[in-house]
Amino acid sequence: MTLIATRPGPGAARAYRFPQVVRRTVAGGQVVAAHLPGQNLAVALLLLDGGAGREPVGKEGLGAVLAKALEEGTAQRDATAYALAIEALGTELVSGLDWDSFQVSVQVPVGRLSAAVELMAEAVRTPRLDPADVLRVRDDEATALRMDWANPGPRADAVLRADLFGAEHRWGRPLYGDPESVAALEPDDITVFHSEWFIRPGTLVVAGDLDRIDLDALGAAAFAGTGGGPVDRGGPIEVPLADRRRIILVDRPGSVQSTLRLGHPSPHRAHPDHVPMTLAGTVLGGAFTSRLNHLIREVRGYTYGIRGDFASSRRFGRFAVSSGVQTAVTAPALVESVGEVSRTRLTGVTEDELEVARSWRAGQLSVELQSPRAIASALTTLVVHDLPDDYHARLREALLAATVEEVSAAAAAHLHPEALTLVVEGDAAVIRDELVAADLGEVVDHA
Amino acid sequence: MPDSGFPWPIETTRLDNGLRVVVSEDRTAPAVAVNLWYDVGSRHEPAGQTGFAHLFEHLMFEGSVNVAKTEHMKLIQGAGGSLNATTNPDRTNYFETVPAEHLELALWLEADRMGGLVPALTQETLDNQRDVVKNERRQRYENVPYGDAWLRLLPLLYPPGHPYHHATIGSMADLNAADLATFQAFHSTYYAPNNAVLTVVGDTTAAEVFALADKYFGGLAPRPDIPAAPDGRTVPATGRPAVETVTADVPAPRVYLAHRTHPFGDPGYDVTTVLATVLGSGRGSRLYQRLADGERIAQPDLVGAYGVDLAHAPAPLIATATARPGVTAERLRDGLAEVVDELATVPVTAAELDRAKALLSTMWWRQMSTVDGRADTLGRYATQFGDPATAADRLPGWLAVTADQIAEQAAELFGADDRVILTYLPEETS
Repeated sequence: MTLIATRPGPGAARAYRFPQVVRRTVAGGQVVAAHLPGQNLAVALLLLDGGAGREPVGKEGLGAVLAKALEEGTAQRDATAYALAIEALGTELVSGLDWDSFQVSVQVPVGRLSAAVELMAEAVRTPRLDPADVLRVRDDEATALRMDWANPGPRADAVLRADLFGAEHRWGRPLYGDPESVAALEPDDITVFHSEWFIRPGTLVVAGDLDRIDLDALGAAAFAGTGGGPVDRGGPIEVPLADRRRIILVDRPGSVQSTLRLGHPSPHRAHPDHVPMTLAGTVLGGAFTSRLNHLIREVRGYTYGIRGDFASSRRFGRFAVSSGVQTAVTAPALVESVGEVSRTRLTGVTEDELEVARSWRAGQLSVELQSPRAIASALTTLVVHDLPDDYHARLREALLAATVEEVSAAAAAHLHPEALTLVVEGDAAVIRDELVAADLGEVVDHA
Repeated sequence: MPDSGFPWPIETTRLDNGLRVVVSEDRTAPAVAVNLWYDVGSRHEPAGQTGFAHLFEHLMFEGSVNVAKTEHMKLIQGAGGSLNATTNPDRTNYFETVPAEHLELALWLEADRMGGLVPALTQETLDNQRDVVKNERRQRYENVPYGDAWLRLLPLLYPPGHPYHHATIGSMADLNAADLATFQAFHSTYYAPNNAVLTVVGDTTAAEVFALADKYFGGLAPRPDIPAAPDGRTVPATGRPAVETVTADVPAPRVYLAHRTHPFGDPGYDVTTVLATVLGSGRGSRLYQRLADGERIAQPDLVGAYGVDLAHAPAPLIATATARPGVTAERLRDGLAEVVDELATVPVTAAELDRAKALLSTMWWRQMSTVDGRADTLGRYATQFGDPATAADRLPGWLAVTADQIAEQAAELFGADDRVILTYLPEETS
């Protein structure tokens, strides 16, 4: 065995550059594109102001059902013909939904991009939305949610969200709705939501080799027949912290693991502490080397993985820790997780930890932003949050410049261990007594 | 459509100790992907040691002679990198993508755990990672509805003693019995330079990588007598279908229908890949059109078919469907079998074939769109077929498949006697 004992240092750092961004107004809509020279694959993504935040309370799941209904035939062809036409180009219609936006995209070899965008626009702008089809899609979506909710996690997520934000608000209910809310939707709800949000032009995001792409033609196809201007998106929402910590127990009889979801409200995306908060979250729970994963997985062996982070949308945010731990160690895993949150709030981060966190976050920009899909996603961040073309370059600088004092201050200001809601989805009969004895807070059984 | 699936340069060398090194330069982004394929997987595990190859993969992150416990992750993430490793029946791969200036660090770390793991391996580390793996088994296989389907399909597809008979995650009993000496021997046996392929793709040159590989890996001793896994290329026919029905805490009936096909890499498996796409990929596929849309007996999000790309024995083709409310498992099973049977009798149309090939082309280029995707692909072809440049042949191979070949394969391989059927039934709730 002949090994080199000395760890090599880094070579000369090479310049990081986000691809060149091109913005254009075409046919009443915005085109935002990134140039990826030589890339064979291209992505086009239509970004609409029709996220879950636009759904009325009691109508959760509208966007998810509409996404499926878009493929049930258009003004020009039935569902089967549509599926064959778009898949013959090598893509499926991929839709996505978050609190701030609705997204539909296609991914194809670059020569097929304009045909794919035409088909995408056909489904988004002129879907048939036949009531019988919509009812079937609705029932299928309700069934799909029931299937999903049979897994550990979705119920715990919903309970945490309702407790943090209040089920009387749309943002206190699940992003995709729940099986009951979806089952109660009517075809008219879908048609009205479509006419309100899906025929405004929106933004077409394109990532690919722009030397082989005609952005004006793509924009003309994407925005044909659209109308209506932007609608006020509302300001940040003030969400109060809980006045005490408590445990909500969601029963899952026979479960061999307990699913943990710990959380409290946190600032919205445009908050000035965004970068130091992100780094504090990284040190605490955002990387494999983070405090939570180190202690709960690597030292204790309680879990396959645990993570914690701050997440935010335009109007609100939350801090959350999530994991699945074996049933027998539910209470100690909770106690030690809360302990790490408290320690991070009280004593901040160390230079050693922060060095890893800031280099990792900054380095990830060059490592992860490679595929057209990843670049398109980065462009949507620019659009949704009104950020400049050089945002990613500036972000990299801000990450690398963050100090221990700034990140520790963000941890102190934005972590609230005493206001955490601790949702535990597991075998209640086995774990309840231990949870009570752990003395982390009142234990409440979820109805 | 290009006639090569890999239009980038490939340069290779072999160190004196047998380590194969593959480099593909691409200056597009200031990042490099480093990837090691070790030619050892769960197919090498004897009875009583299931799950060992995968547990070993975990141990490779827990320190080596010059790298302290947990330091590996910290150094890669601290360099801005992404990293992971996976184990399957065929092989174990380790990979990281880092900003280009940290290439040397990644190679140093990989060399240290290839050549210097055993002295650093402690009972405490083994016990801890055994717990982590048992938690992984609970989380991925035991605590989710249908989570054990793969664990049940493998023994139905492959007889006892076959290298694919058992699943990579292993059994709890075997994991509990694992002792330190066995793992030390496992490393000495399989983690040798002549049993690995090192691939680097991205912002570097072949000359730089070859020199660094020689510097860090060149002093490691080869192992002359690496034992081969049992030969599994011939699976004797039993003359009857393998049928299992499980009653479990699941929300709806689900059926899996599976057949053995050809090993990944054989021309016959290219046919399987295209066939599986025709059968079960996308809304235009036969399964979707017939079961989700036509008869409406299957849930649209949960119907599909795919091949599992295993190279050392006839690889499985799996088709699956989950019942819509009110549909019985029998009806679903009959419907699924009928669509699979028709692959032999109802010719695949030109439109069906074009659709499948278009979807596969996009899938291929998506894998090629990142340096890490390319590195893993080159490592695979170097390890399994002896030449990374053969990666370029896969896409043309798919595009050359004909409708006749699909019908012939279905007629030859998908008979009732060779069929595996696994059915899940919900427990009675009353």
